Amino acid sequence: MTGSNTISDENQLANFMQRIEAGEKIEADDWMPEDYRQTLIKLISMHGMSEIMGALPEKEWVPKAPSLYRKLGIMAKVQDEMGHGQLLLRVTEDLLEPYGKNRGDLMQDLFNGDLKFHNVFHMETKSWADAGIIGWLVDGAAIITQTNMLKASYGPYARALQRICAEEVFHAQHGESIIMALTEGTDQQKAMIQESLNRWWEALLMFFGPASKETTGSSKQDLTIRYKIRTKTNEEFRQLFFDKYIPRILSLGLTIPDPTMHFDKENQMWSYKQPDWNEFKKIIKNQGPRSEARLNLRRQSYEYNSWVRDALSHSVR
Amino acid sequence: MSVSQNDLTLENREAITSLLFQLADDDFMYAYRGSEWLGLAPHIEADIASSSISQDSMGHAAMFYTLLEDLGAGNANDLAHSRKAIDRRNCILTERVNGEGYYMETPHYDWAYAVVRSYLYTQAKKVKIDSLCGSSYKPLAEAAVKVRIELYYHRLHWEIWFKQLMSSTDIAKNKMNAALKLVMNDFGDVFSYGNQKLAIEMTKLIGTEEEMKANWTASIEPVFTTLQLELPKIPDSPEKNGRMGEHTKDLDEALTTLSEVYLLDPVAIW
Amino acid sequence: MGEEKTFYQEYEVFSKRTTSSVLQHQFSLLAPNEEMAFIMAQENFMRREPVADIWIVNRKHLRKMSNEEKMTLGRLENKDYRTTKGYGYLKKKWRMYEQEVLDEKEILSWGGEKNERQSK
Repeated sequence: MTGSNTISDENQLANFMQRIEAGEKIEADDWMPEDYRQTLIKLISMHGMSEIMGALPEKEWVPKAPSLYRKLGIMAKVQDEMGHGQLLLRVTEDLLEPYGKNRGDLMQDLFNGDLKFHNVFHMETKSWADAGIIGWLVDGAAIITQTNMLKASYGPYARALQRICAEEVFHAQHGESIIMALTEGTDQQKAMIQESLNRWWEALLMFFGPASKETTGSSKQDLTIRYKIRTKTNEEFRQLFFDKYIPRILSLGLTIPDPTMHFDKENQMWSYKQPDWNEFKKIIKNQGPRSEARLNLRRQSYEYNSWVRDALSHSVR
Repeated sequence: MSVSQNDLTLENREAITSLLFQLADDDFMYAYRGSEWLGLAPHIEADIASSSISQDSMGHAAMFYTLLEDLGAGNANDLAHSRKAIDRRNCILTERVNGEGYYMETPHYDWAYAVVRSYLYTQAKKVKIDSLCGSSYKPLAEAAVKVRIELYYHRLHWEIWFKQLMSSTDIAKNKMNAALKLVMNDFGDVFSYGNQKLAIEMTKLIGTEEEMKANWTASIEPVFTTLQLELPKIPDSPEKNGRMGEHTKDLDEALTTLSEVYLLDPVAIW
Repeated sequence: MGEEKTFYQEYEVFSKRTTSSVLQHQFSLLAPNEEMAFIMAQENFMRREPVADIWIVNRKHLRKMSNEEKMTLGRLENKDYRTTKGYGYLKKKWRMYEQEVLDEKEILSWGGEKNERQSK
């Protein structure tokens, strides 16, 4: 697997690059350069675990959802997040096959901190409005990055994203529906949603990662673009998010909690106050507000019911 | 003879309302307990599958609350969210916690208990729904025909889990048998119709308590025989009867959580 | 390779949308055995669409092609004689006989419809 520099490997690489340049899809069993495999594993395992971990902040609001319809909607949404995790972890597990690693190893990687989950899911939720903000804006941000990879050169990832993005449309509308009920509601409800937006604003800016690797010292964006996994940079994603969502946020009578925010006509860019990237660095080291608590919950529930997996491993027929 | 909503006598209405509260509250609490499991099941694929069953059950509860709304008992969301424990008619089994600890922290939920409760509850629900398909109250019979469609899957799903864990490792068998004991201790009011028993049975809204018990026992017998398990016995007189508004503190705690946002402003649109 | 006892067996899931649809590959899931795979398949991959049938297969029972074997799939595009494309001139010929050619569209339209003779 580790590319010994034989002529045949060079041929393989040339052939591989030719295929992805031509828009062909790479499949799990195909030859692929080691750094392509590694990049995919890192990207997709993190994406998958983020879905699994992202189910936790939202599930906090499932029992509390304030009507039968809302209870049903948010249950379906959390189920989808787990479903997305399932798809993405399956894609990762197939990429891991040459190393003999499986689902159990991925869970251990998560628990010991080798496998990270998305910074936005380390944040605390405090009110029902957060369920709306997560559905509308966090999923909105996710839609921006995920749709960009719908044509990714790796076929299994592209196909999983196709399924995921179709469901994200429901998630976004589920979020919009919660948000609008609040912005059109009582003063208490309006205050609730504004307070939630204020609290989530920095996290939403951080969602797309730093503009360049100089900010935090690492960024995978160059390799993913070269290998046609994605086409846009972090900052391009963030700007696109502003394009789509700033007018909508304002139209609902909400205030952007950044008085400096404006559209710079000359550069055709949104100008905004940078979030605290030191905080970002802490979060991605699992030192965010709820990092430990959520990892603990995931670890304990996994270990507490490990007897179920043990029991059924013996029944393999 | 079947009746629709318009030609109800007063006594009839009371019996129907009482039965509908039992059905609605049962599924509401069962679905609520299921929803606390979201994201925490022992396997991701299993998490997703069992979540559908919780959703379906919440959907069934919503159908029953809507039938109550149609009878003028109040708004469905209000009935689900703002009634006090003493007014609730769910059986004790459905209100029991999934295990120790609050769901927002790091609870120790027991999958064996989830499987046994779900399997035996679903079998009981199936027996009732089968009978309700011929209910003298037409709107309820129509709802039962719909609910039955989704019960095929629920029953199959939990039966497979029940069978497999009951016939695997010693650890699993011990946990499953301990859970079976807990579940059966609470089974005394599952088939009780509370203080409207006479009217409910007389007007043929559903089969009698005794018929339901017998059908339930018959429905689980093949599985228990295959597993060489002793057929469980339904306790004669329950310590607490949920159908009479007698409940545990588990229900109080659940009600506080499930109505937390709703009660911030019950007249607001959420 | 011995039979490893693991909870994480890989199953491929196929389904039909309606009774008349073709079987379509959906995705793969992990399950300890066939029965478990079955009860998880629909809710994992077809939560919103109708389903009329589900097939599952353990991956170890799938025979897949290696990269070398995929080379055997190549062929030249010189096989017009196998398709109607190689007989395109017939249309003109039939016209000479004042008849229309019985092409694929025409022939496949013959199944069913009771009144097709009258409608001609």
